[in-house]
Amino acid sequence: MIRTFIWIAAIIAASAIAFVLGGYATDVYRKMLIWIALALSYNFLFGTAGQVAFSHFAFAGVGAYGVVILSTKLGLPFGIAFIGAMALCALIAFIVAVPSTRLEGFYLALATLAFAQLFTVLINEGGDLTGGTGGIAGYSLPSIFGLQLRGPWYTVVLVLLVAGTLLLLNRLDNSSFGRACRAIRENPAVAAAMGINVRRTKVITFTLTSTLAGLAGIAYAYTDNVINPPVFGLENVFLLLFMIIVGGMGRPLGAVVGAILLYLAPFFLEPIVGHGYLVIFGILVVLAILYQPAGLAGLIDRGLGLLRPRSQS
Amino acid sequence: MIHTRFASAMAIAAGLLAGSLPLVQTAAAQDVIKIGVITDRVGSGKFYAEPVTRGIELGTKIINEKGGVLGKKIQLIIEDDQNRPDVSAAKARKLVDDGVVAILSNTGSPATQQAQTVSLETKTPHLTPANSADTLTTQLDNPWFFQTGPLASIQLATLMSYTKSRGFKKVAIVRDNSSLSQSFAESFRKGLEGVGIQVALEEVIPQGATSAVANLQKVRAEKVDAILQAGILGPEMLQFFRAYQQLGMKEPILGSYNLSIPAYLTMAKDLMDGVVFVDAYDDTKPEAKVFHDIYLKEYKEEPSSLPAYGWDGIHLIAAAITKAGSLDKEKIRAALASTQNFTGAIGAKGTSWSFRDGKRTGFDPQGAVVRVIKNNQHGPVVHAGQK
Repeated sequence: MIRTFIWIAAIIAASAIAFVLGGYATDVYRKMLIWIALALSYNFLFGTAGQVAFSHFAFAGVGAYGVVILSTKLGLPFGIAFIGAMALCALIAFIVAVPSTRLEGFYLALATLAFAQLFTVLINEGGDLTGGTGGIAGYSLPSIFGLQLRGPWYTVVLVLLVAGTLLLLNRLDNSSFGRACRAIRENPAVAAAMGINVRRTKVITFTLTSTLAGLAGIAYAYTDNVINPPVFGLENVFLLLFMIIVGGMGRPLGAVVGAILLYLAPFFLEPIVGHGYLVIFGILVVLAILYQPAGLAGLIDRGLGLLRPRSQS
Repeated sequence: MIHTRFASAMAIAAGLLAGSLPLVQTAAAQDVIKIGVITDRVGSGKFYAEPVTRGIELGTKIINEKGGVLGKKIQLIIEDDQNRPDVSAAKARKLVDDGVVAILSNTGSPATQQAQTVSLETKTPHLTPANSADTLTTQLDNPWFFQTGPLASIQLATLMSYTKSRGFKKVAIVRDNSSLSQSFAESFRKGLEGVGIQVALEEVIPQGATSAVANLQKVRAEKVDAILQAGILGPEMLQFFRAYQQLGMKEPILGSYNLSIPAYLTMAKDLMDGVVFVDAYDDTKPEAKVFHDIYLKEYKEEPSSLPAYGWDGIHLIAAAITKAGSLDKEKIRAALASTQNFTGAIGAKGTSWSFRDGKRTGFDPQGAVVRVIKNNQHGPVVHAGQK
C-alpha cells in the first residue's frame, strides 16, 4: 500500500514538474525521459540478460518511422498507426532475434550492428517514404479521444512511459523469467541443464526489449514532430551502452541514474569545461569499469548501507 | 524496497532537474541585441561549423565597432548542439528562453531541420547561412526560416556545367561507403547522365581501408577523362589522394563542396594540387576582398570560404533588424523575407541574394563557382554558374 502510494506520488511529482518548466528545461526533461525509457529496456537486454546488441536505437527508429509513415504517408488513423508500428517492431525484432540469439557475445554484437547499419542505410535511402537524409517533418500528434496531448500534457505521457517501462521490467526482473535471464547470462549451459529454454528466453527478451525501444521511438517522434536518420545512428547506441555501464549493469536504478547523468552532463559541463566534457565521459566509463563494476547504483547501495547486489538475489 | 528506491530516484531526479534548469524567463528590456548561434563544437560537423562561427563572431565584432544596430551592440549567445538534431531543438529553445531576437543555425542540416520546429512554434526569425540541403525550406512550412547557403542542387548543376564545358565524355566516380558519400555519388551519377556523360565505373573505398591503390588501378584501366571524388570520410579520402599521387595519375579530379572544408588541405597536404571543387566564394569579388582583408588582419591567416558564410549571415540579420527598425520578431521576419539583391562575400561575382516569390532560399542559382586547389590553398575560380 505504502509502495503504491510512493509510486503514485513519484509519478505525480515527475508530471507536475512539466507544468512549471520553461521551454528549454521542458525540452531537456522530455528527451531525458525518453533516454531513461530506452536505457531501462536496454539494461534488461544487456545488463540482465547479457545480450550485447547494438540494434536498440534502430528499433527506436522502426517505431518512430513506422508510426509517422503509417499515419502521415499512408493516412491511417493514429491508433491503427500506433498499433501497426508496435507490431512492426515486434515482428522485425522477432525476425532478427531468431537467428541472432543463436549467436553469443561478440558475434551477436556484430549481427545486431549489421542490422543497425542496414536500418540507417534504408532510412537514408528511402526516398519520399522516409524523407532520405532530411527525414520527415511537418506532422503532429492528432487529438486522441478529443484530447490534445500537447505542452505539459505530452510530458506527462512521457512520465507514464518511463513509469510503465520501469514497472513492467521490474515485474519481469523479479519473476522466474528474470531469474532465467540472469541464469543464461551467467552460464547458458548450466541454465539449459536446469531446464530453462535458453533460446526461447533469449528470443522473448530480445523481442520484448526491442519493442519497448520502438515504443520509446514512437514517443520521440512526437516530441519535436521531426524524425531524421542521425538520431537513430550508432553514436547514440554507444552512449546508451555507456549509460548502462556507468549506472550499473543489470540494475534498473543504474539505468535511470546513468541515463540522467550522461544525458544531462553535456548540458551542464559544456558551459564550464567546453567540449572537454567528452574527456570526462571517457574517464567516467573507464573508472566505472576498473573500480566500480556495479556502477553508480552500487555506490548508491553502499551509500545507503544496502549492500545487496541483484546478481546475488 | 527496491520499488520504493526507484520511485524515490525518479522523484529526486525530477526535482533535481526542476531545480537546476531555469524556469520561464520574463523578457527584460534589452541593452543589447541578443542573437543566438547554434553550432557544432564536438560532433561530425565541427570542421565546417567552427570556421562559419568564426565568421559570425568577426562580423559581429565589426558591426559593433561601427556602432552596432539601432544604437545597440549585438551580443551573440553561442550554443553547441553536437550536431545532434534532438539537442539542436533543445538549444534553440534555450536561446529563445534567453531572449534572442533571431537564431543562426550553423550545424548539420538534419539538426537545423529539427531546430526549425522551435523557431516555428516560438515565432523566432531563423537563418542558416551555410546549410545546403534542398529540403530545409520544403519539408516544413515555416515562414520564420530562411536559407542563404548554396543549395546542393545548385552546386551539383554548377559542377556538371563545368564537367560538360571541359568536354569530358567518360568519367569514374570514387566514393567511400558512408551514407552521405553514397548520396553524393548518386547525385553525381544522375547529374552526369543528365548531361550525357558516361559513368564508366564507381569505385568504393571502404571505411578503414589502408590503401586505395587497387581502386585507382581499376580507374586507370578504364581510361576515363576525369574522376569525380564523392568521398566524405577524411582518412579514406587521404588514401585516395595518396594512391593517385603514387600511381602518377593525370586524370583531372573534380570534387564536391565537401572539399571546401579547409581541414582537408592540412590532412592531405601536398596531395591535392590541381583538384577542382565546387564552392560559393570568389576572392576577387569586391565584397569578398573586404571580408578577406578584415579576416586576415584579425586572425593573421588566409580565410577559406566557410567564415564568409557566417560573416554574410550576421550581416544579413543586422540589415534585417535595421530595416525592421525594432526588435519585434515579426518585423524582423518581414524584413528578412523582403530581402532583395543583398550582395555579400559569398556568391559568384555579379550575383546576390533575394527571397523572391515567397521563397525562403535566397542563393542565386548562378552563384556557385568551381575553384582549383593550388599550393595547398583554395585557389582561383575556373568556372562560375550553370551556363
